[in-house]
Amino acid sequence: MERRGMEQLAIILIDGLVYASWLFLISAGLTLIYGVLRILNLAHGSLYAMGAYAAASAVLFYFDRGLWPPGSYVALLGAALIIGIVAGPLIERGLLRWIYGRDPVYQLLATYALFLILEDGMKLVWGVNPYYAYKPYGLLGTVQLAGIPYPGYSLLLIGVALLASGGLYLFLHRTRVGRLVVAIIHDPEISVALGANVPRLFLLTFTLGAILAALGGAFTAPMISVVPGLSVEVIVLAFAVVVIGGLGSLEGSAIGALLVGVVRSLMVHRIPELELFAIYLVMALVLLFRPQGLFAIEEVRRV
Amino acid sequence: MLELENVHVSLRGFPILRGVSLEVPEGRIIGLVGRNGAGKTTTLRAIMGLVPVRSGSIRFERADLTRLPAHRRASLGIGYVPEDRRLIGPLTVEENLLLPAWAIGMRDAPDRLRWIYRLMPEVEELAGRRAAQLSGGQQKLVALARALMPGARLLLLDEPFEGLAPAMALRMGEILRDLQLKGMAILIAESDLHRVSALAARIYTIERGEIQATGEGE
Repeated sequence: MERRGMEQLAIILIDGLVYASWLFLISAGLTLIYGVLRILNLAHGSLYAMGAYAAASAVLFYFDRGLWPPGSYVALLGAALIIGIVAGPLIERGLLRWIYGRDPVYQLLATYALFLILEDGMKLVWGVNPYYAYKPYGLLGTVQLAGIPYPGYSLLLIGVALLASGGLYLFLHRTRVGRLVVAIIHDPEISVALGANVPRLFLLTFTLGAILAALGGAFTAPMISVVPGLSVEVIVLAFAVVVIGGLGSLEGSAIGALLVGVVRSLMVHRIPELELFAIYLVMALVLLFRPQGLFAIEEVRRV
Repeated sequence: MLELENVHVSLRGFPILRGVSLEVPEGRIIGLVGRNGAGKTTTLRAIMGLVPVRSGSIRFERADLTRLPAHRRASLGIGYVPEDRRLIGPLTVEENLLLPAWAIGMRDAPDRLRWIYRLMPEVEELAGRRAAQLSGGQQKLVALARALMPGARLLLLDEPFEGLAPAMALRMGEILRDLQLKGMAILIAESDLHRVSALAARIYTIERGEIQATGEGE
């Protein structure tokens, strides 16, 4: 009985970790973009959905050619990069740069409009029928975890999230450009006065955020049927995680994702009726005690 | 070296600067004295390009700054110390100093950093500390050191003595004098005339966005 209890705990934790990885991928870009550009991008979910569609198309195309199956993971990655690198700069240069510093309501309306346009755009390109690109999921088979077979692909998702968060950390804390981005997050105006090329760094950050969203979509595509409407679910969850963690804080998003991931997993296994409620429960509790979220952007002490 | 001519700035429709003209020559400390809200900070911000100039002109050496993008001004050799210091809290003191070097790609950054540390040894002692952990006075010195990184020709200081303990204020004055002797042009915005009268070669008095009087320093 005790052994069974331990097994169940392990599964709850791993399930939670897998879900947290996915949550981190969808929210990291959103919070990074907010931190630097100060725009809450309602179209973030659309970048995720485009990543998912592009990845599904790429995988289907890849297997149609009868190519070496493990290479399909590279196809997933490539699809995400292409979406991020093409759509990111188009959106930033074409729309966002006109609304920097405007009233937040105006910015929300503009990115909401973009979301609607992208939704229909995706229907035009990919149609409304579902895409099933499950082969990369099956390739990894199952792994025995605490004596229970567990899908290997879920563990890959943890790996992708760890790589993304580690890469982001190194970028922001070890590279010159990264530390300029940190400076802009904390004080855009003084950064400009020190010579930071803010328009270029905005473009870079938005593209990076777009790649992260597309990456989340691309690596989720093999686990789901890719259908219209993906964006909405994602944007709601990503908002919740970002608000829990504190707007603009990557550390906050990571902790928020873990918190929501584990609580949700606990609910799924123990009180399944409350699965969806779990996220909002965590959010409500956090906001009750820390209205600014767990990690609000740190300000220099003003004496 | 720096020349403002009939500069007008309006914010949200309100005129803040109404025809400010002033001149900061090489190797001189110039004071800009006025009460809070007189337009001192806005004058400095206009020189840095942080507020748009409605009319008039700002020239620095041979460059016309009036319409130059804000982020391209530091690399001309201009350093800015805002009143509230505005260090980047999560970065270390040395990273704060290096930010402008990374931003404008300064080739001589290591030499410049050494030069600043020689000028202000107390800043070198803080190099590894996170900026958010420093006291107000320490932050002020670090903000000056950071401005010196790109600011090899002209320094703009907003209330540099505000909130400093007397010993620290003396030290600040000593450093500024030292920089002046090295040929730098320095513009100090200050609400208390007595703090700058001993340092400045010339003092402009500003009131309601207009230069009222010009006087020689002591």
